[in-house]
Amino acid sequence: MNHLTSDELIDAMEGMLDATRQQHLDACEACRRELAELSSVLREARALNVPEPSPLYWQHFSERVRTAVDAEALPSGGWPRWLRWPALVPLAAMALVVIALMVSAPTPVDPPAAVAAVDANPGDVALAADSWVMVADLVGDMDWDTASAAGLVVEPGDAEWAVLELSANEQQELTRLLRAELLRAKS
Amino acid sequence: MDDAALVAATVSGRRDAFDVIVERHRRVVYQVCYRFVSNHEDASDLSQEAFVRAWRGLKNFKGRSALSTWLYRIAVNVCLNRVSAKTPPTEPIESTEPFEDTRIESAQRTLLREERAAAVRRAIAGLPKKQRATLILRTYHDMSHQQIADILGSSVGAVKANFFHALANLKKILGREP
Ligand SMILES: [Zn+2]
Repeated sequence: MNHLTSDELIDAMEGMLDATRQQHLDACEACRRELAELSSVLREARALNVPEPSPLYWQHFSERVRTAVDAEALPSGGWPRWLRWPALVPLAAMALVVIALMVSAPTPVDPPAAVAAVDANPGDVALAADSWVMVADLVGDMDWDTASAAGLVVEPGDAEWAVLELSANEQQELTRLLRAELLRAKS
Repeated sequence: MDDAALVAATVSGRRDAFDVIVERHRRVVYQVCYRFVSNHEDASDLSQEAFVRAWRGLKNFKGRSALSTWLYRIAVNVCLNRVSAKTPPTEPIESTEPFEDTRIESAQRTLLREERAAAVRRAIAGLPKKQRATLILRTYHDMSHQQIADILGSSVGAVKANFFHALANLKKILGREP
């Protein structure tokens, strides 16, 4: 009969070997030696200890974690978690640029949606998809390293790019927040 | 308060609930990390990073697994990402035996035993990452093959194979040690 496979050797170490294979093991010197050697290595590994840090260390550890987590916490003001302000600052700046460009554009036949949105009733949450795409394009072209160096962005990274892939609801919420920001800047 | 309630409280903005989570799980997270790096400083840094990542990810924790399993997964991933296979243990190895034994044994035997323990640590540190992670979770944290598979994102078959290869490699490496 075949010797124990690696799976069966593990089963044997853990007392899970089925009866017929156990019969082979009992009768086979080579398999018994292999099992004994693996078990011996496992015993040696198991004997290694982890030194127990002092209670004072644990207190210090918890404080370190708290400090690190506090550094991550959002500033207050009700901004949603997905919308971190490092991403919002350049977006708001870009939105202002979009609006400035649109306002200064020669004789628009229809007021562009973004302009309409700024002047619209604050209850109206829809921003036309075209305007959204334009903001996204502009932000997508932005040089984040320069923005970072200029202090516009604290930690350029995935968060900024994630803003370009927001769900419809998140786009709506961003639109609402941007508009509130713009209205405040106008007043 | 159980872990699920603490998670809910943390997500709803109760910052102190997360402190309790840290207090409850810091020891086991530290132990996992220590097993990977065999020194206190790195284990401490890795554990802290694991909890910061847990904080970031907690709102996405769906409760499909126990919080402890989820934290294990984060800790193991932090370790796997950070630890290189050639990291040697840098801390002096302490005797695991009670003091009385050293009076009975000769100093030489104690020394040999400590050298052997150091060799075992070095051998574990030299294992490929998945084998090392499997050995650590199975040997020191009594996890089932299924739990390890969940944490490492692999199959039970792969876990058993990694466990076997970890032991076989240790046997080979330690067989060459004096
Ligand atoms: Zn055999």
